[in-house]
Amino acid sequence: MLHDRDRIFRNIYGLHDVSLKGAMSRGVWDGTKFFIDKGHDYIIDEVKKSGLRGRGGAGFPTGLKWSFMPKADVRPSYLVINADESEPGSCKDREILRHDAHLMIEGALLASFAMRAHTCYVYVRGEYIREREALQRAIDEAYDAKLIGKNNVHGWDFDIFVHHGAGAYICGEETAMLESLEGKKGQPRLKPPFPANVGLYGAPTTINNVESIAVAGEILRRGSAWFAALGKPNNTGTKLFQISGHVERPCVVEEEMGIPLKELIDRHCGGIRGGWDNLLAVIPGGSSVRCITAEQAEAVTMDFDALGKLGSGLGTAAVIVMDKSTDIIGAIRRIAYFYKHESCGQCTPCREGTGWMWRVLERMERGEAEKREIDLLFDVTKQVEGHTICALGDAAAWPVQGLINNFRSVIEARIDDYQAKHSRMAAE
Amino acid sequence: MAKQLIVDGKPIEVEDGTTLMHACELAGAVIPRFCYHERLSIAGNCRMCLVEVEGSPKPVASCAMLVNDLPPNRDGSPKVVNTASPMVKKAREGVMEFLLINHPLDCPICDQGGECDLQDQAMAFGMGGSRYTENKRAVEEKHIGPLIKTMMTRCIHCTRCVRYMTEVAGVEELGLIGRGEDAEITTYLEQGILSEMSANAVDLCPVGALTHRPWAFAARPWEMETFETIDVMDAVGSSISADVRGAAVMRILPRNNDAVNEEWISDKTRHVADGLKTQRLDQPYIRKNGRFEPASWDEALGLVAAKLKAAPAEKIGAIAGDLAGAEEMFALKDLLTRLGATSLDCRQAGDKLDPKLGRASYLFNSGIEGIEEADAILIVGANPRLEAAVLNSRIRKRWRSAPTKIALVGTKVDLAYPYEYLGAGPDTLAEIANGKHPFAEVLKAASKPMVIVGQGAFARADGLAALSLAARIVLAASAGKDAAWNGFNVLHTAAARVAGLDLGFVPGKGGKDAAGILGPDSEFVYLLGADECDLSKVSPSAFVVYQGTHGDKGTERADVILPGAAYTEKSATFVNTEGRAQQTLKAVFPPGDAKEDWTIIRALSERAGTKLPYDSLKELRAAMYRTSPQLAALDTIEVRAVSGLETLAKLGAQPSSAPFAPVIADFYMTNPIARSSAVMAGMSALRASHQQKLSAAE
Amino acid sequence: MGLLSEIFSWWGGNTWGTRLFTLRKGKQVGQDEFGNRYFVQKSGVGPLGVPARWVIYPKLSEASQVPPDWHGWLHYTVDTIPTDERYHRRPWQKPHQANLTGTPLAYRPKGSILGKGERAKSTSDYKAWKPH
Repeated sequence: MLHDRDRIFRNIYGLHDVSLKGAMSRGVWDGTKFFIDKGHDYIIDEVKKSGLRGRGGAGFPTGLKWSFMPKADVRPSYLVINADESEPGSCKDREILRHDAHLMIEGALLASFAMRAHTCYVYVRGEYIREREALQRAIDEAYDAKLIGKNNVHGWDFDIFVHHGAGAYICGEETAMLESLEGKKGQPRLKPPFPANVGLYGAPTTINNVESIAVAGEILRRGSAWFAALGKPNNTGTKLFQISGHVERPCVVEEEMGIPLKELIDRHCGGIRGGWDNLLAVIPGGSSVRCITAEQAEAVTMDFDALGKLGSGLGTAAVIVMDKSTDIIGAIRRIAYFYKHESCGQCTPCREGTGWMWRVLERMERGEAEKREIDLLFDVTKQVEGHTICALGDAAAWPVQGLINNFRSVIEARIDDYQAKHSRMAAE
Repeated sequence: MAKQLIVDGKPIEVEDGTTLMHACELAGAVIPRFCYHERLSIAGNCRMCLVEVEGSPKPVASCAMLVNDLPPNRDGSPKVVNTASPMVKKAREGVMEFLLINHPLDCPICDQGGECDLQDQAMAFGMGGSRYTENKRAVEEKHIGPLIKTMMTRCIHCTRCVRYMTEVAGVEELGLIGRGEDAEITTYLEQGILSEMSANAVDLCPVGALTHRPWAFAARPWEMETFETIDVMDAVGSSISADVRGAAVMRILPRNNDAVNEEWISDKTRHVADGLKTQRLDQPYIRKNGRFEPASWDEALGLVAAKLKAAPAEKIGAIAGDLAGAEEMFALKDLLTRLGATSLDCRQAGDKLDPKLGRASYLFNSGIEGIEEADAILIVGANPRLEAAVLNSRIRKRWRSAPTKIALVGTKVDLAYPYEYLGAGPDTLAEIANGKHPFAEVLKAASKPMVIVGQGAFARADGLAALSLAARIVLAASAGKDAAWNGFNVLHTAAARVAGLDLGFVPGKGGKDAAGILGPDSEFVYLLGADECDLSKVSPSAFVVYQGTHGDKGTERADVILPGAAYTEKSATFVNTEGRAQQTLKAVFPPGDAKEDWTIIRALSERAGTKLPYDSLKELRAAMYRTSPQLAALDTIEVRAVSGLETLAKLGAQPSSAPFAPVIADFYMTNPIARSSAVMAGMSALRASHQQKLSAAE
Repeated sequence: MGLLSEIFSWWGGNTWGTRLFTLRKGKQVGQDEFGNRYFVQKSGVGPLGVPARWVIYPKLSEASQVPPDWHGWLHYTVDTIPTDERYHRRPWQKPHQANLTGTPLAYRPKGSILGKGERAKSTSDYKAWKPH
């Protein structure tokens, strides 16, 4: 349970003044120069010690990622902030952009300084029009106050540019985002070479999620030890959880990492609709991770490791709650359609496999299938998983695997029903 | 620096920068692939080349992973790579299955059948059966020109064609639009592709999505026999293979030759095959009362011999055309010399090249491979894109790989790479030669400067002057540099020219040149396949003999037509613009009563009373090599020092101010075989209509 | 059929042995317009496990003389014979013609020296230049 005093995003609901003045009254931009004077390596060390793991879904240690950037290179370094937020279920970054943008801008300056970058690009999802406008207003305020820009008060030249996308989930993948920023089609690049080596325009680049950057200022101000004390070992700090679906009050809430899912839902969302007995399944981290059963949901804690042990993942902490009124096959079918629609088409398994999986699930939703096709579908997901250029292939495969692992009996029952309705015996 | 690996249990050592795929192949493994091609950038999107690397949970795309980028083992032991493990097998079967689920069941009607990568790899690495029961997606047809037939439903999106057109051909006419399942390859503008190298994309396509429209449904690969021969459509001498079924050449494909044409040939080289079957001269004709009457060889040769004996030696002349082989030129020169005639010329375009100035003065001295080392290139009076398309792509390759300064003097044209336009004619050239032009400094600063002189500069009255200026530029830029590098390059357009110059098929003592031979004084003119010359000034009483393969312009004025053999129908030596002697192979017999060219001249010589002393091709070649030993050195070029240019440079003649004019009006119609080809006619019309559209839009 | 040819040749309508067998065991079920006679085994079964069916031709034993009406019955495919009321003749059935190979009316491909017409186009053909 997170105390108010440990909260980082103090205006996440926009109840207070979103302007620079309001942000500064909440402590943003306080002492930024002090930390910059301490030097690049100090900031990286602090973030490393805090144990902050990437908040965009992969959970890679952020301090470690910043340390990959070169200390000296003829090419300029870049920071790219991933505000593409297209993962179904995720809606935290838009709150930060609209209500607490200054936290992110301050974090961008600190992070860029740490990795010796002078330029930052924020890639905002095309559909977030008002959020982008709010962000641009906040950036303009920061420029006007000489907090950023050339010859700013912090002594580190820093420019931040907002770029928007045009409706492609795949542009949230870091290398596809770089391609899109360069003006090309958003098709992911092969790794290696990694962006820290060859990134935007061939220069060293780090791509971080909005939330990961936004917490940097507070980590420095309150100390890495404070951040590390929150949450669980190896899964430290606070997280913005987005709970949607069949709960009484869906919401975005900042909580401690490792909070039991039961506590999260009961305390902040008013509990499951119809009570916990009415729960069917939960997708804990955005549609890309495997769903967990009601039993598992009642016992699990919300952190990377615990969910990883269950075969699922924390992802972006976008919790999708499904009660017993849900047609779970239909839900996964809709998710499979999403991946088929968003596949960039570059590599074979994703381009062909996502379509195949969706089509089989369409039939399974009606029950117009055979029981052996369940294993066939599982095999297909295994053929896609791990064989693609980027993680969209894995993201497309996991939900289907979650369905088959946990709800095979539902699929079989659906098939039986359909065969019963359509067999010759029934007709006669 | 070397890297150690253990591939399939076999320890190997490879150089830094090697891809994992190449390393596995060195260890003897076979790695399937669709999107990877040695001459294109790495795409890594077909996922067929996945191999297992111990320590990595996911299989690795071997075409994209450099051996250096593999995360090293903690204990420093060499990485273990497996290409035949169950994980790899499952990955390959999986990818192959995915490729086949949306691929139409077209094998029986698909031209690629029998030489299809998808078929071969499905057999070798696939699952053996289909588990897909949904509907397959279909893609609309695209029209991208008369050369490339598209069946885009078959496309597996390897993007080889896109990368080829963008990188090698230099025209961004193909692209992948759409996303996911709906991705398609298209020109988007639905117009014909106009690059001269476009048909190579069809070779690259691993499936039948792109096939050759002129040969659609013509033959299966196993029905044809392959003959390795040399192309004569331009002076590059690309290595080609002629596929023959029955008595006809069904198609012409490129052969790999890293020194000349890599793996590419121009569209003209490839699609003239149908020109070998139309408008063929298959029997001798004699003009009687203004009309041609068919005649027997006996009659025709008898008549020619009689006229030859009757004409005075100084009024006899011979012109060798652009497609004549060295053997027949040698025999013809031999015959005429024995008769005392000295008026012979192989330079029907009016080229002012002279063998007396040394071999270095008329060859592409740097070699085509040498283009890849040049860091400054000056193109004078040439349009390499039309005159030698494959050579042009080599220049583009160089431009892509390293900063290269390219400049052009002559007509401003689109060359598929950016260049600096310096001027229109000899005035600019003189400025550079005198060191007054800034580009002279560029050439001096370069370590391997190149000057390419084209026919537009040397095939005119002041041709020698232009050549001399170019030689001066090269000598000035080469002073104090690597002596082994000779940057003086003459770009020929005719396959026969260099061999003719090497053999000395130029006017002897007191002999007339091409313009003189075709003037009113001659009484006997022998045209050895010469169609590009102006026959209007020949006296109406002169006796003209045309020995060639097609009923082209030469036949209009001829009095006797002797049918000869085309380049696929005889074994002949051609020397390309670099001075590389290469031999064609006889793939089919000449049609009807046509004979190999040297045999006609040998038979004629016997009738004319001066029997040439060789009765077989071998004997002729032996005699030829005695006078011109460089023709015996097949497939090699000799290095000729820059000092060989001094004679040329010292000539110091004054050029006129007329700008260098383009020499090729229509890329697709430059020789009799091309002019007889329906495919070439179609392409010519397409290009003309495209030009019209462009000028109308302006 | 002459007795001698029945004994010593086998390419005629029937041999001596067939005549004997037919007398003993065969019952004629019908005759078609070409003169072929069709028999069925009177009692018992043949090698196929059903009463045997056979045909005796009037002149030359050439199997393609059997018209389609009788072919189905002869090969045990159907049980209806053309005179049966269940037999339907289709309007598109052409009059039957035996295989003409070996006869003067045999099929010859285009360009064959035994036939007429020009040979079909081949990919090896070339177009000769003709003077105007």
